[in-house]
Amino acid sequence: MQNQDGVQVDGEVESATSVPTPEFDEWANFGDQDIMQQHSAIRAEEAEKIPFLGDKEPLSSLAAEYQSGSAILLEKIKVLGEQYAAIRRTRGDGNCFFRSFMFSYLEHILESQDQSEVDRIKANVEQCRKTLQSLGYADFTFEDFFALFLEQLDSVLQGNEASISHDELILRSRDQSVSDYVVMFFRFVTSGEIRKRAEFFEPFILGLTNATVEQFCKSSVEPMGEESDHVHITALSDALGVPIRVVYLDRSSCDTGGVSVNHHDFVPAGSDLPNASGCSEKVSPFITLLYRPGHYDILYPK
Amino acid sequence: MAEDKYNLKNPAVKRILQEVKEMQSNPSDDFMSLPLEENIFDWQFAIRGPSETEFEGGIYHGRIQLPAEYPFKPPSFMLLTPNGRFETQTKICLSISNHHPEHWQPSWSVRTALVALIAFMPTNPNGALGSVEYKKEERRSLAIKSRAAAPRYGTVERQKLIDEIHECMLSKVPPVPQLSPSQDSKEHPSNREGEVQVSSQHDGATPAGEAAAEGSPNPAVGDRIVEEVQEAPLNGNPGPEVARTLNAAPSGGSSQLLQRPEMKVQKPADDRLFTWAAVGLTIAIMVLLFKKFMKSSGHGAVFMDGS
Repeated sequence: MQNQDGVQVDGEVESATSVPTPEFDEWANFGDQDIMQQHSAIRAEEAEKIPFLGDKEPLSSLAAEYQSGSAILLEKIKVLGEQYAAIRRTRGDGNCFFRSFMFSYLEHILESQDQSEVDRIKANVEQCRKTLQSLGYADFTFEDFFALFLEQLDSVLQGNEASISHDELILRSRDQSVSDYVVMFFRFVTSGEIRKRAEFFEPFILGLTNATVEQFCKSSVEPMGEESDHVHITALSDALGVPIRVVYLDRSSCDTGGVSVNHHDFVPAGSDLPNASGCSEKVSPFITLLYRPGHYDILYPK
Repeated sequence: MAEDKYNLKNPAVKRILQEVKEMQSNPSDDFMSLPLEENIFDWQFAIRGPSETEFEGGIYHGRIQLPAEYPFKPPSFMLLTPNGRFETQTKICLSISNHHPEHWQPSWSVRTALVALIAFMPTNPNGALGSVEYKKEERRSLAIKSRAAAPRYGTVERQKLIDEIHECMLSKVPPVPQLSPSQDSKEHPSNREGEVQVSSQHDGATPAGEAAAEGSPNPAVGDRIVEEVQEAPLNGNPGPEVARTLNAAPSGGSSQLLQRPEMKVQKPADDRLFTWAAVGLTIAIMVLLFKKFMKSSGHGAVFMDGS
């Protein structure tokens, strides 16, 4: 809240790195390549509409979206307004959950300067690294992604030469070379957690896709652009030890008359948060995401 | 290496350099791959034809191009050595073609892709893009031919690299097992490994690969390969061990196959019969489709006139 987000920040922060582009055109015979280009063209078109991470908007902008739409939704948004002040949209490219989580988490650290939380998550990240190694992933396939996340983590803590401002965090979150790498980091962590606790996740995965745990990780977790479900959220929350609240905005209504908005808290299993030990009472999540079928955005409580 | 030429901050460059290093510290007998000195996004490779198949003893060269967005986007592969399984100088995309049901993912690498490529050689192409289906004898003779000389391709610089890789592979890959020893190629490798020799002694002509391919559909093969690759590092880092694991991958199932020698007796006449049947069917379907098309376009014309 303390920083104004309206500062001129456009998508022009695209990777400023120069890479010698291999000459792809010299091969006349296409096929798969064609299909892939078409895919990415569609994605790019879709992406133009919204940056990876939008500006903070008052909740009224959400209501405006449904002005001529469902009365139930408008009613629910009104209820939401009692608890939440603002929304920050993310791009709907299948990575929205991870991008929302990334920004929300880093913003929380930036604002709270919670050193002990940083230490705690770093220990979890170390654990995730070991998990991947023990699952047989070659180090070089994931270490860049890990390094980049840890770098962001250090830079949101103030007082060192790498420290960044809130505006810079927004810029980075809109920079593909940062955002995609962090998303991929989360995908590795999620996949590692699911594989490590395959027996636990298996029934959920079977219920979702009728795939094996292995197949699910390979086809729905690790590839970029694959949407997240409660299985992903549970796994990420468990692996990193970060509780997540998801507020559901859909057309479902309760017959009892009063409209209410459902939410679900994903609380890390075996949570070793020092304050949570002993009492399994409320661990109140500092990350709140708004779920509308097929998409996640960030919600800001009042 | 031309490391200083590249922006090491660039994540793709960083990753690729790591892969080069990894490739050099864990060499395999089954493949070899190196980037061009002037462009690390452009690699040359050679793979060894999987043993117990008609590709055994073959050395197949190819080119890999890594996209600027690597590892988020898949590398593209093409073969340069005529092999009877993949077209040459045509991109084969391992991630989204029939070859692979799953999408490419950043946890894969050039190594993973090469191992998969080797494993795909004896599988049935099922009409996949960039694939060809030659007869076994032709493939076998291409395998023998492949050893004689490396393909000519690209700049002098690239050719040097190709030749270098070829020399190195010749020393690793024992020649094609022959029924008639007279045809045995002249460059007998000096350092044959015992285990390899055992496997190549079994029989002169093994349709084992084909039998395996017929038994298992492509997705399964893909799955197995990827799993095996990911398990490989489990064995710890030492090179030889990893190499042996990879070595075993493409020839998996050879033991059961040896117990079924009758599989070997495959009549080429059968093949021809099926081919003609397939051609006949295709023609029949085309005729039907054409008829239907004529019919529907006739209707379409009527509607058009009406409005």
